[in-house]
Amino acid sequence: CDQWLDIEPEYAQDAENFFNTEEDFQRAVIGVYDLMQTNYLQIWIGEIASDNSIAGGESVNDTQGLHEIDNMVHGGVNNELRDVMRFNYSGIARANFIFENQDKLDFPAKERLLAEVSFIRAYFYFTLVNYFGDMPLIVDRRISINEVTQVERTPKEQIYAQIEQDLDRAIEVLPWTNPEVGRITKGAAMALKGKVLLYQQKFSEAAQVLDELITTNQAGYALFTDMNNMWLAINQNTSEDVFTIQHSGLQGGDYGCLVCLQGNPAPGFHAIRNYVGPLYGDGNSYNLPTQNLYDFFGNDPRREVTILDLEAFIAAQPNPSDISFAIGGGGHTGYYNNKYIKRNDERGLPDDDLTSPLNYRAIRFADVLLMAAEAFAQTGNDSRARTELNKVRQRAGVPDITSSGTQLLEDIYSERRLELSGEGYRFWDLVRTGKAAEAISGFQVGKHELFPIPQVEIDLAGGRWSQNPGY
Amino acid sequence: IRGQVLDDRGDPIPGASILKVGTTSGTVTDLDGYFTISVSPGDQLRVSFVGYQTSIITVGSESSIVVNLVSEITSLGEVIVVGYGTATKKELTGAVSQVKGDDVARMNMPRVDQALQGKLSGVTITTNSGAPGATSNIRIRGLGTFGNNNPLILVDGVIFDAAGLNSLNPNDIESINVLKDGTAGIYGVRAANGVIIIETKKGSLNSKASVELSGYYGVQETARKLNLLNAREYAILKNESFAAGGMEPPFNNVNLGSGTDWQNEVFETAPIQEYNLTVTGGSEKTSYSIGGSYFGQQGIVGGPKSNFERYNARLNFVTELAPKVKLTSVFLYTHEQASGIAQGGIGSVLFNTINAYPTEPVFVGDRFSYLENVADIINPLAQIENTFNETFVNKIVGKEEITYNINQHFSLNGRAGYNFALVDGKSFSPLAWFGPGKFANTARNENLDPVLVDVGGTLIERGASVFENRDSFLDYNLETFLNYERRFQDIHRVKGTLGLSYFGNRNLGLNGTAFNIPNNDPAFADISANQAPGGFLNQTGSFQTRQRLVSSFIRGEYELKGRYMFSAILRRDGSTNFGPNNRIGYFPSVSAGWVISDEDFFGSNAVDFMKLRASFGVSGNDQIGLFRYRGLMNGLARYVFNDFIVNGAAIGATSNPDLKWETTLQTNIGLDFTLFRAIDFTANYFIKDTRDLLFQPAVSALLGSYGPGGSPPVINAGNVTNQGIELEIGYGTSKPQGVNFRVDYNFTYLKNRVTKVPEGLDFIPGAAFSVGGNVATRFQEGFPIGYFIGFQTDGIWQSQEEIASSPFVQPDARPGDLRFVDANGDGIINFSDDSDRTFIGSPIPDFIMGLNLSVDYKGFDFSANVYAAIGQEIIRNYERQQPFANQLAYNVNRWTGPGTSNDIPRLTTGQTRNTVFSDFFVEDGSFVRLRNVQLGYTLPEQISGKIGIRAMRFYVAANNLITLTKYMGFDPDVGSGNPLFAGVDNGIFPQARVIMGGLNFRF
Repeated sequence: CDQWLDIEPEYAQDAENFFNTEEDFQRAVIGVYDLMQTNYLQIWIGEIASDNSIAGGESVNDTQGLHEIDNMVHGGVNNELRDVMRFNYSGIARANFIFENQDKLDFPAKERLLAEVSFIRAYFYFTLVNYFGDMPLIVDRRISINEVTQVERTPKEQIYAQIEQDLDRAIEVLPWTNPEVGRITKGAAMALKGKVLLYQQKFSEAAQVLDELITTNQAGYALFTDMNNMWLAINQNTSEDVFTIQHSGLQGGDYGCLVCLQGNPAPGFHAIRNYVGPLYGDGNSYNLPTQNLYDFFGNDPRREVTILDLEAFIAAQPNPSDISFAIGGGGHTGYYNNKYIKRNDERGLPDDDLTSPLNYRAIRFADVLLMAAEAFAQTGNDSRARTELNKVRQRAGVPDITSSGTQLLEDIYSERRLELSGEGYRFWDLVRTGKAAEAISGFQVGKHELFPIPQVEIDLAGGRWSQNPGY
Repeated sequence: IRGQVLDDRGDPIPGASILKVGTTSGTVTDLDGYFTISVSPGDQLRVSFVGYQTSIITVGSESSIVVNLVSEITSLGEVIVVGYGTATKKELTGAVSQVKGDDVARMNMPRVDQALQGKLSGVTITTNSGAPGATSNIRIRGLGTFGNNNPLILVDGVIFDAAGLNSLNPNDIESINVLKDGTAGIYGVRAANGVIIIETKKGSLNSKASVELSGYYGVQETARKLNLLNAREYAILKNESFAAGGMEPPFNNVNLGSGTDWQNEVFETAPIQEYNLTVTGGSEKTSYSIGGSYFGQQGIVGGPKSNFERYNARLNFVTELAPKVKLTSVFLYTHEQASGIAQGGIGSVLFNTINAYPTEPVFVGDRFSYLENVADIINPLAQIENTFNETFVNKIVGKEEITYNINQHFSLNGRAGYNFALVDGKSFSPLAWFGPGKFANTARNENLDPVLVDVGGTLIERGASVFENRDSFLDYNLETFLNYERRFQDIHRVKGTLGLSYFGNRNLGLNGTAFNIPNNDPAFADISANQAPGGFLNQTGSFQTRQRLVSSFIRGEYELKGRYMFSAILRRDGSTNFGPNNRIGYFPSVSAGWVISDEDFFGSNAVDFMKLRASFGVSGNDQIGLFRYRGLMNGLARYVFNDFIVNGAAIGATSNPDLKWETTLQTNIGLDFTLFRAIDFTANYFIKDTRDLLFQPAVSALLGSYGPGGSPPVINAGNVTNQGIELEIGYGTSKPQGVNFRVDYNFTYLKNRVTKVPEGLDFIPGAAFSVGGNVATRFQEGFPIGYFIGFQTDGIWQSQEEIASSPFVQPDARPGDLRFVDANGDGIINFSDDSDRTFIGSPIPDFIMGLNLSVDYKGFDFSANVYAAIGQEIIRNYERQQPFANQLAYNVNRWTGPGTSNDIPRLTTGQTRNTVFSDFFVEDGSFVRLRNVQLGYTLPEQISGKIGIRAMRFYVAANNLITLTKYMGFDPDVGSGNPLFAGVDNGIFPQARVIMGGLNFRF
């Protein structure tokens, strides 16, 4: 009677025999894209770890990992860092699953799909290298549960080599534009490659690829002119979007599974606690900009674009006394992230704290120009550096920079903070330019450049990896 | 002379021994209780049988006699169902406990499992919720696994899941038998968590129809309310806490009186009622038991929105189809109607009730108040008002069993059982507005305008929605087994069982959500009524699962001189839950018994009976879900192209082709004895060692198991040991007149330890504490499953000097803060790692006890059931740490300056470590509960007989009348299906206190 036990799962596709049609490939690729939607962690950690913002929230225990990162007391037990590692490797595993099966079938769109997947895998590895340094490099196949304890950390140079190789493939194959909005394009791959090179201090190569992007520019990238409104949902996927991670408010969600969301949870988390009033929605008062950041802007018009000064906003409303809000026990600065914030007419489906339709601009054209400026400045081409830098400043309506040499470089760094604060890059900019220790209180040189690998991940991999220095 | 030996009900007693007094000549009765012996008039016959009082008959001149044996008060002769057979308590070699149906029925509990609490040693019942229709957790001999700890439940041989017990009427039960030790291994791969065998009532042959009619009606109320701050206390404490946090005190005037008592608003008295009709009887060849019943219970929270009703119809009959061929037919139809409110944790009605602040009225004008000062705490009454859900279950359970008594020694059984449930659910989500920014809002604004959704550039209104599902669940089994029994020369007795079994399961479901129900009205809440343009928003889903278990088993039993018993079992199981590598398992067990009191050397008069038992067995657990050995493309893969969500494919759970069942090795040593023909005593000591636990532990991130819809592979890793002692003592009297009483006491001591966790892991994390807080419970080597880990406290820092002069540093400590213990002695309290976190409690009781007492005198009867669980802890996890949330009244005694308190920390809205999980939030959960007490009176038959009633009884009863506990929460009986979440009180729906009156008639 044992043959009665041979039953198959019904209406289900088996992972070991999956890639049989083009549709199967197409669907698996969507699975890789999906993991990019965990970018909320990037917006939080990139800002909270820096001098730009504090963790906030309901109490100091609310998402404790962020509070520890905020105070530079993070250690090997940290849920958010563990999520970074888990989500990025999950994306990598999904990408590798496709490469493992890439020879099963041929069809016209295959090369493009594989190039998109290459790009996304590069993005995941780039995130891992930034956070943790050397990490196991697993390429083109999945590993089994028995192999896990034999995997070593790969020197980050090798990982970078793989990232560049993957991006080169994407640059070569992908079109400048894709009618399907949200698909990775050649421009995105060039921009990410420029960023990857910049982070490795390969300035001339970075300058080269970014120059090519800016000058060839067959996608028509340009700075969005209406700077004050460019963060509204209606102004998404514009000419400024080079590499954008897409979100939608059309699917509900709950706190039980943030990785399952199609919406962007960051805007709701950033929003004002118990807020009742015009324009904004209410939220969890996370990732609150600091006074230091506010002051840094001086009179730069980008201050209001970047930071919501709540008291000032309320005072300017017709009936200020009708507006109410609460302060979380996790800290209060009076400021809120005004780029990624829940607004009343940009709510997703319930729970709308989690389902904002706001896309995450992982690399926008202003960033491309500033990265190019930096690369040019680092390679002695100050005039070209000023050109790219001043494009950004002109859009903001502030005077051109005329400095050169080291001062120009400093001006570019400072411009990055003015232009890009609130978007999750600040900590990495401080680290890669060696300015973290002076900017971040509690930052220890030689330690905090990298985050600790979650101790449990070291244990689960057999306990043989050494922890990052200082942890 | 030819004679027949009958019991007090008139049923024949086979195997009774007949001895001519003063001689060695004797005989035993046959299957129908008949015997023949040659005697002369005047001889005396001594007729005896285990479980009955020995009778001495003086023979006259008659040629046939009938001997009626009166049953012993002791239980040695009771027939216990042990799986594919029965045994008397005297013959048992395993650890089996039994509860009679009458004891279950008398508890007047809605569910069978609730009635079992405190009735059996070794069986722990905890409550998930006191809401009508809510389930309990049945744990036999502790928590053996990380996953599914439910025992195998068989009702007349048909599989029931624990939730499905709702459909049984406790009055229909004849007996409940619990196989606790290795001898449960006759059920192989499903037996590791023990086996519960429930038999429903059958009629008896040659008996007059007996009609029983019974009913009760009761009123329920909450047995307890929390002690919360009233408005004045609230205002004072909030002012203080805001000031301490450097903020403006919110209340200029604190003389606000008592304010709103949200608990008074939410709790209500609610009815509970049950009516039963049963007819039993039998002709010469057929016996029957037919019944119908109604049970209805409303919630003490939510009233009709939290409701459970059950209608039962039952037909059991046993008939002789042909000589030697008997058909047992069992049929049960159940209709259930249920509705429920949000329970258990943030967002539940009671959580909102506890945290709603007293300065807010229930109504503002003609609308519910908004509680605007707190995030995501909504008006609980508005919540109840906007809750609409209904579940209808139609269930058919039955069995057809044919027994063919081939000859004196062999009998062959074939049976087919089925348990089919059709579940229809409907829940309506109206457009609702609970106040600005509340998570539960489904409308866009106070005017209940629908949310607008941008679909491809078109704005679509997302109105009220209805979710409907129709799921069917079918469990079926086909079994055949051959039993053999033979005595040789009165010295040897051999029994054998050989069988085949096939269990199957098939579940199917369809569901859909439709939007834009007209008029926001529950009256139109049906998918067919949706007005969603183009159906863009409507959603559908389905599922289908099946699993099978193909088994064969053999059992051999040998008894020598009625004194030495041996039994051995081997079962072979094939389960579809495992891959081809590990599909087949073998589960052996052996057991033996020795009736010491039958030995010649045993001379005690006080001890009538004494038996030593020992068993060892291996059993398994395959309850891990389906197809976990292989990887399926059932993960989530969604991304957004062109502003639309597109669906892709991804691997769900990571596969593990080598997955196999959990194995439990259990050793049991037991002693049974009877003192003075009245006191029964049973003791068991057991060691239950569960190995290769089925885990879905955290695995390395490198495996990529943590994408949406993904999960780690199920693996076999980790061991758990349960050790324990069980005692059952029973004493009773049975006199035709005067006072009779019976008392049964049971005691269970249990020690649970995790002895191994999966390679590379220090622990498995469990439940989180507070909002976004740290994990508070763990599965970790050397500790009980689900133990609590956090900081230990040591009073309150009284002054800055004390902090400054402390031998260790507690970062950010201020006077009035909790003083934590530097557990690792490194001179600093480290909040960012585990170094100072330590064991601060366990949800597993050290011991549980049950006391059941009944007394009757001249028609009056009294009974009581007391249950105690001692030594467990509970995490108080229903206090929301929000500045404006209401608080428990203990905060009135907070620290306000040096010497004011050494227990309760200062209040502040500022940053504080006082809300980190520590033993401050852990309470002693021990409790003793008078679960049921009942006083009844039965009219003398001379009176009731005049109006044609054979028996007529009135009674009053109360459930949960008294609970003794130090625990602050609603109810210390806090359980969870997940062993790592046991003992975490998220504001449990308490079990009601019920006062009821009832009537029983027998015609």
